Amino acid sequence: MVLELHVWGPGFSLPSIDAQCLATIAYFSLLVPKGSWTLVASSDPTISPTQELPALKNGSIWVSRFRNIADYLRQYSNGEWDLDGDLTALEKADSVAFSSFVESRAQVLIDLSLYVTSGNYYNSTSPAYGSILQWPNQWVLPPQLHAAAKARTESLGLSSLDLEAVREQQKREHSTAVTAGRIPQNFIRRPRDTVSSLLGKTPQQHQFRLDALTGDLFGPLEELLGDKTHLLSERGPSSLDCLAVGYLSLALVPELPHAWLRDLMLRKAPRLSQFVERLRRELYGTVNVSDAFANGGNSPLPWRAPERARLATIGSTLLNSLADATPILKDIRMNNRLRETAESADSGLSELESRSLSAYAQAQGRDTLLSIATVVGGLTALAGYMVHVGAFSPQDVGEHKHDEHEASETTIPES
Amino acid sequence: MTSDHDGRGIPEQRPESRREPRRTWDFFSVPAPVKRVFDCFPLLTYPPNDLPQCTWPTRRGNRLFVFSDAAGAQRGRPSFNPQCLKWQAYLKFIGIEFELVPSNNHASPSGVLPFLLPALPVGTSTPIPLNKMQKWAIEEVHCEEEQQLDLRFEVYLSLLDNRVRNAWLYHLYLNQENFDAVAQRLYVDPSTNNSTVRSILSSQLQQAARDELLKSSSYIDVGALEAEAAESFDALSTLLGDNTHFFDRPNPGLFDASVFAYTHLILDQKMGWRYNRLEKLLSRHENLIKHRERLLKFF
Repeated sequence: MVLELHVWGPGFSLPSIDAQCLATIAYFSLLVPKGSWTLVASSDPTISPTQELPALKNGSIWVSRFRNIADYLRQYSNGEWDLDGDLTALEKADSVAFSSFVESRAQVLIDLSLYVTSGNYYNSTSPAYGSILQWPNQWVLPPQLHAAAKARTESLGLSSLDLEAVREQQKREHSTAVTAGRIPQNFIRRPRDTVSSLLGKTPQQHQFRLDALTGDLFGPLEELLGDKTHLLSERGPSSLDCLAVGYLSLALVPELPHAWLRDLMLRKAPRLSQFVERLRRELYGTVNVSDAFANGGNSPLPWRAPERARLATIGSTLLNSLADATPILKDIRMNNRLRETAESADSGLSELESRSLSAYAQAQGRDTLLSIATVVGGLTALAGYMVHVGAFSPQDVGEHKHDEHEASETTIPES
Repeated sequence: MTSDHDGRGIPEQRPESRREPRRTWDFFSVPAPVKRVFDCFPLLTYPPNDLPQCTWPTRRGNRLFVFSDAAGAQRGRPSFNPQCLKWQAYLKFIGIEFELVPSNNHASPSGVLPFLLPALPVGTSTPIPLNKMQKWAIEEVHCEEEQQLDLRFEVYLSLLDNRVRNAWLYHLYLNQENFDAVAQRLYVDPSTNNSTVRSILSSQLQQAARDELLKSSSYIDVGALEAEAAESFDALSTLLGDNTHFFDRPNPGLFDASVFAYTHLILDQKMGWRYNRLEKLLSRHENLIKHRERLLKFF
């Protein structure tokens, strides 16, 4: 059986545009013999039942996320395909802790660099997605990913890297000044920040903050690497190396208009940068987008062209995104999805949990229906009342004549 | 006839033009019965509320505002919120005296608990928010900044701040049994007696927890959350080894406080957990349990 690894497609001359996918590809190319796996740049999370990529497909079994896939590979091969098998207890603990550290800290920096920094997003990331996604996903998915990245980095308070947020803030200040009446309307000059002046300004403003953030990530990793050939031991690569190369190559490799992350990485962690560069050349080579869509080819990775989207899939994507954008429908759909997850056999929930979760989803669903019914009832009552008091009458035209006769009588007392 | 005066004087001669404005006026104005209802408001204007009674006016010490109940705060019992407990424990470990004040997020200047009102300098009312608390404590008692001593401090802390915290969020807020038995009792019921407000608060809390978990993944995989928590406990147990405190320090410090904040609340029978998978995962590690018991003696 050939294992199929479904990932986000290539971008920035890396085999995938997503860090978790890159890490999983690294894990596969280190461990799984050629010929027993293929790489599919499907770039569509809806193909996997968990709506996530990377996803491993083996017959009818789907496994998603780096950690779960690594676990599955170990079970599938009876312990043979396991990069962390010969680690000592302390190294194992380090592997777990540093993995969590890299996943949390590096993801935030990549979000900031590729998505939140507007110049990079609109000039590099968004076009990169455009070239790997099929219609209509190229219009649907990138804004979703953009919004998710913004949500993840909100708490850092670095929103002025984001031009849209800056503009909104300016508009708010502007309207507050007007409403406060401090400035006469005519005297207010529209803030005339050109894109370039804003972009030129923001990196310096946040230099200190970004310096601290990158230092927090790269410092411990650089120290852990030391003079070793791999992060944990001299003996060979571990899953931590895969994660590190996955996340950090997205920091190091992309050619961006505002390459602050790469500059800071090269400056703060020269040995780590060399290590990542060496490992990613070894594992990924240089990938062109066209490699992923041509079977075989001359790439070191076992690409298999993804299936063209069928009309039904396109239709369902369109319908789904429309439905998810409609307020009440969205709630209903979310509850249905939650219930389906809870009731499906392979959700990993105990029976009790899945029962309580599905009961919860059903109750939520009833709540939504109840609120719709309340609103409809309220509107009907209002319309009924208006008809009753005569604010408007259904037979307005028919009564017209009758009214005219009466008008002469009723208006007399007013004079 | 054509003059204004005549027109106003004999309205019945222009019935058509009189009628039209009246119809539009009817349509846009508030119907009389509704207007009468609105005229009744405000029904009653209450006198302004008194300022909240300060229950700790005579104390002169540092005051730490945490999630707690009045009785627990008086006796200095551990807070039921991991973040609050972490700082409560840390300040205790390094020997800073303080009073506990039960509070909630709305009372905090930064929007999160805990925060601290220092006793010195006298007359100051500048609160110390969460992110400045360690700096303040170091200046107070001149202890070392532990982050600098070991490169693994921040790294292992990320296990607690991400993996264990995510499992905790699921465990407390999204597991319906636990939410009804624990979170409802601790966070929702003390704020109000009104059942409508309670149910709204509950759903807001659960939604906030769900949003937090969905930030890092597209769906909430309970199995994965618990597996990651299990891995984290394994790693922390290995890190502690046979030492009394983390990083083999003579006295407990910030890292011990961070671990204790979760291990204590997971193992505490008084929390009244209905579903406690985390306890099963944690009880495999004898040294973490002993570590918690040792530190509990401080309270």
